Amino acid sequence: MKPFRHINVPGVAEAVDYLNKFPGSSRLIAGGTDLLGVLKDDILPAYPELLINIKAIPGLDYLREDENGLSIGALVKLAFLARSPLVREKYKVLADAARSVGTPQLRNMATVGGNLGQETRCWYYRYPHGIGGRIQCQRKGSGPCLAVGGDNRYHVIMGGKGCFAACPSDLATALAALEGSIKTEGAGGGRIISIGEFFHPLGNALKAGEMIVELQVPPLPAGSRQHWLKYTLREPVDFAVVSVAVLTVLEAGICREARIALGAVAPGPLRALQAEQFLKGKEPIPEVLQEAAVLAVQGAKPLSKNGYKVEIARVLVLRALEASFAGHK
Amino acid sequence: MQREYRFIGRETARKDGLGIVRGREKFIDDLKLPGMLQAKILRSPHPHALIKYIDTSRAAKLDGVKAVLTYKDTPPWKGGLPPHLGVLSNVLRYTGDAVALVAAETEEAAEMALDYIDVEYVPLEAVYDAEEAIKPGAPQLYPQFPGNSFPLACPWMGENSLQEVAMGDVERGFAEADIVVEGSCRYDNIPNPLPLEPPGVIAAWEGPRDLTVWSSTQTPYFLKMMLHYTMGRINVRSIAAHCGGSFGTKAVPWQLVFYAAALARVSKRPVKLFYSKAEHFAAYTLRLGSAFSGKIGIKKDGRVMAVAGEWLINSGYCSDAAQGMVAVGCGEVQLLIRCPNWAVKPKLVCTNRNASKMVRGYGGQELEAAFLPVLNLALAKAGVDPFVFFKQNYVKPGDDYFWRDGNRWVCRGIDYSAAMEKGAEVFGWKEKWKGWLKPSSVDGPHRTGVGVGVHGNADVGEDVSEAYVRLDPDATCVIYSCVSEHGTGQRSSLCKMVAEVLNIPLEAVSLAPPDSLVNPYEFGPVGSRGTYAIGSAVIRAAEDAKRKLLSRGAALFQCPAEELETKDGFIFRKDDPENKLPWKATGFDQTYMGYGRFEPDFSVPNFVMIFVEVEVDMETGKIAVKRVVGATDVGQIIDPQSLLHQMHGCLGSAGLDSAIFEESVLDKKLGRILNPNMVDYKWRTFLELPVFEAVILETPINTHLFNSVGFGEIVTSPAPSAVLMAVSNAVGRFFDTYPITPEMILQTPGKGRLKA
Amino acid sequence: MKENGLLLMVNGQSYEFKIGTGPGEVSPSHTLARTLREDLGLTGTKVGCNKGECGACTVLLEGTPVLSCLTLTVECNGKRVTTIEGLEDPETGELDPVQQSFLESGAFQCGFCTPGMIMTVKALLGDMPAPTELEIKEALSGHYCRCISHYHVLDAVGRAIGKRG
Ligand SMILES: Cc1cc2nc3c(=O)[nH]c(=O)nc-3n(C[C@@H](O)[C@@H](O)[C@H](O)COP(=O)(O)OP(=O)(O)OC[C@H]3O[C@@H](n4cnc5c(N)ncnc54)[C@H](O)[C@@H]3O)c2cc1C
Ligand code: FES
Ligand code: FES
Repeated sequence: MKPFRHINVPGVAEAVDYLNKFPGSSRLIAGGTDLLGVLKDDILPAYPELLINIKAIPGLDYLREDENGLSIGALVKLAFLARSPLVREKYKVLADAARSVGTPQLRNMATVGGNLGQETRCWYYRYPHGIGGRIQCQRKGSGPCLAVGGDNRYHVIMGGKGCFAACPSDLATALAALEGSIKTEGAGGGRIISIGEFFHPLGNALKAGEMIVELQVPPLPAGSRQHWLKYTLREPVDFAVVSVAVLTVLEAGICREARIALGAVAPGPLRALQAEQFLKGKEPIPEVLQEAAVLAVQGAKPLSKNGYKVEIARVLVLRALEASFAGHK
Repeated sequence: MQREYRFIGRETARKDGLGIVRGREKFIDDLKLPGMLQAKILRSPHPHALIKYIDTSRAAKLDGVKAVLTYKDTPPWKGGLPPHLGVLSNVLRYTGDAVALVAAETEEAAEMALDYIDVEYVPLEAVYDAEEAIKPGAPQLYPQFPGNSFPLACPWMGENSLQEVAMGDVERGFAEADIVVEGSCRYDNIPNPLPLEPPGVIAAWEGPRDLTVWSSTQTPYFLKMMLHYTMGRINVRSIAAHCGGSFGTKAVPWQLVFYAAALARVSKRPVKLFYSKAEHFAAYTLRLGSAFSGKIGIKKDGRVMAVAGEWLINSGYCSDAAQGMVAVGCGEVQLLIRCPNWAVKPKLVCTNRNASKMVRGYGGQELEAAFLPVLNLALAKAGVDPFVFFKQNYVKPGDDYFWRDGNRWVCRGIDYSAAMEKGAEVFGWKEKWKGWLKPSSVDGPHRTGVGVGVHGNADVGEDVSEAYVRLDPDATCVIYSCVSEHGTGQRSSLCKMVAEVLNIPLEAVSLAPPDSLVNPYEFGPVGSRGTYAIGSAVIRAAEDAKRKLLSRGAALFQCPAEELETKDGFIFRKDDPENKLPWKATGFDQTYMGYGRFEPDFSVPNFVMIFVEVEVDMETGKIAVKRVVGATDVGQIIDPQSLLHQMHGCLGSAGLDSAIFEESVLDKKLGRILNPNMVDYKWRTFLELPVFEAVILETPINTHLFNSVGFGEIVTSPAPSAVLMAVSNAVGRFFDTYPITPEMILQTPGKGRLKA
Repeated sequence: MKENGLLLMVNGQSYEFKIGTGPGEVSPSHTLARTLREDLGLTGTKVGCNKGECGACTVLLEGTPVLSCLTLTVECNGKRVTTIEGLEDPETGELDPVQQSFLESGAFQCGFCTPGMIMTVKALLGDMPAPTELEIKEALSGHYCRCISHYHVLDAVGRAIGKRG
């Protein structure tokens, strides 16, 4: 790894301060599981001068539930989230998503903030500098997206624009089904970004000098059930080819609410609003669920080699809905 | 009747086991020499290019940088088969090809320096597919290999090394056949054997023509000779570190040695070169690309009458062993199939991608994975059960075949039918086989299917081995056999053999370090030759030493040596074991050195049959390997744990999984391997372990004292085609390419849920 | 800890380092794997992928399995690190039961993945008295073994559990 300077910060204010003092040439480091890979492969045109270690900031690894819902400090480790009885009990998709990330050792190190902040795994973007030089592309600020005319088997089937890299974060998918949001701090103060607004085709909504301090999940609809599915070629280690998180509410045999979030199919987690709308007020019989699953992937525009993802997404939505509704009994 | 042995066939701890579990065993990257520099390589951004201009002066001035080399100032060493690659060249032939070399005080300094080398390239047109590369007008990689075709001769295998499978009259064979099929299949996903430890070497010059090389090779002596010939007849001392997995790939890392030795020469310091995982993926050894297309004629009862076709082999940008792999592949296919008429013509081609080199499976896996799916088309038409077919066809004692040296050999091994039967029984083949393209069971969207493959290799007796065994007066002994430990337990197994011959405790036997300076010639533990070839040399050396000991003992006991025996460091008359004298009674200052040599013998093929059961989710395309049964007969087990390990190895090293998820993804616009990391390159994890059962028989084989043959190298070979067959049966269609992806499953017509 | 200094507790021994770029100093970009191997000579910790993908470099940080190739040494100040070299009894040299079980089961071929796996199993058995087979597989699921020693490793873990009675 090429050299950098490193500083431990005692608080969020100092972290934000350093980010602003070294605009563009500093990076936050939390668990380091994504960042250090990025630096070792030297994939970015600009190598950071300074790493700002936020891991030692006290009190940023809390997990709290109150009448406003669940709050998760940015430094909460994925292993902790996955094991937490509260999260497993009530926010199942979040626990399952966390548990599906990487490997046990990675989850012991990785933080929830870093999970949302991580860079895409597009293999053109990630191509190591050591083997003939990094690949320039739209996301890095110059050149076209090479996935379009290249091997795009893992790329987006919806919502790509300029760049067709898929959102790698599993937590994002789960958060989307829970209608969660992200609380940040920055030079100009903090703000709340809903998870649906956080990712865009070329990166995320964080401004220079802004950091994630908390994930928020609003109170759950009464009597809701959840289900998480992640499709990979093998388990574990893999990023999702497609993931699905659903939340359902069933009253007297009728669907009162359904939320369907798709992961790894778009630049960010994607809510299948049409399908959700369709389900409302209906009895979740097989034909209805099948129709909903079809609606969930309607409008997909696959690239040359990822049409299969549409089919997998459809089946995963169907299976997740089946399982979630079955949970109401 | 099996003989009772003291060590052979019994579970004994590996000699290096304690070192491994304590973390004390030294691998190449654990070695540090005083003053040692670290090397890094600047790699080509282009798949095919000329260096127009290169300037290293900025890099050379950096702190800690001790040497920077380009093609202009590297020594005239030449490797490849036939020799065609220097240390560096101004022609770059794949993305990742070495452009310049740097040695510096630290790894970071060397890495930094790469960015300060100024290069201008003239990009040239590149070609990646073998079919394209042989077309007229294709970009040419080497002027001396027109049509991008390598000559097929492999001189070190003999003057007439096997270059095709040719015998009989195929036209007549086709005329006599009931069923003739034509087809093709590609096994060109170039999986990476990917031992966990990346390759590495350290080079240090002791004098102008004296080079010492430490490396992660498993064949240190062979490497010494290889370097001697390629580096201008210099004197090489080759020392092996403990090897963190090789699967053939680390046997002769001559290019790494070239790089490190060139840097060591100008810097006058020892230089270490240890590849990153990305380099291991993108600039080291891949499997050969392989495609078979041709015609096969069979009788209704499954007898094969004629095979004709082309075997197109893609070796990437160079070749250093591919000709040997072609020869062995051509031999191995004959062990599988009895057929009087053959005309299979290999063509070996270079393309602008990272090189394919020596890998476990060595030609046979590549040919069979591409050839058997075509044969399956014929078997399916005839309705022949593939297990029954393989059992009938697999080489039997008295059968003959042409081997890699071009000679006809007659099998004097054993009939493996019993092992096959036992394997089929344990697997439940009869119950699960429902016919071609028929699933074994259906459960909603999940369908299971079964497949079988077989493989064998007569290379278990390849090449020469030499060994010494020294008996010491303190009743211990030392084996001199130039073998390093690369995971097969070979070093420990050799100790067991010698302990058995001398009837002394295993603890009394040790093995000299794997260093060419102290050991005699040894080709090395490759091609499953450890047990028979190396074992024979070591056994003979032990017997020779014992003979010398006992003939000295004859004077003490005043009887012919033949009447004496030795046990636990004592000599005694066979008829009076109580009256014994310690070895040192023959002289406290007397050692005995025995010598043993093994000469090549290609008459004893080994054997493995792999049965697999897969489950396919027809709605998502996911394939799960549920169960594997491996069946073999090794004559006599030397070490049960090691043997079982080898069997399990079929799930690793670019073996079974190359049928479903292992592949190097080559972008054919950029000429880059897109997945040079262990997330995007898929491998089997603890959570994806199939149920694995091994059937191991012990029918004495006519090899050496212990009637045993080796087995490790062949295990991966039958697996890919067996998996392809299993998935075909589950899904109900044939596949003609690897790996089978979810996408391919989802494209299957009528893929939905079957009615049970 | 003083400015520009670093204290590591490795296998029960404390080591002080200067942070800097000179020889013997720990640079901010040095990983724990590198410090252990290069500066402390503890080469039992292996580096396979150097990028968090293979598990070979697993060590225990405050008793928890982490990847030393993705851990910056400067971020381990004052922390307790256990490596494969720290498992045996320093006085008697007696092996840890997990090491002993791996030895008895012959749970390795080339052995490059072994130290990392042993560290994971050590932590697992510390956390759970009797993990199920699935729990064992999950705990080990981040370890790559190309030789396919998995089956023998599972046997070794069972043996280690058995040793505790
Ligand atoms: C082998 C492997 C497998 C993986 N598999 C998965 C997977 O299946 N699913 C998945 O979702 N991920 C996966 N990952 C990615 C994994 O790194 C993340 O999931 C992890 O959560 C990142 O957290 P971290 O704390 O280590 O982040 P870091 O590496 O410390 O940071 C990642 C990025 O986020 C930024 N960042 C960190 N914290 C903050 C913050 N508080 N505010 C703003 N920016 C911040 C950093 O500057 C950096 O750019 C995998 C990684 C590896 C190496
Ligand atoms: S070396 Fe650290 S995970 Fe592979
Ligand atoms: S024993 Fe070789 S990698 Fe596991």
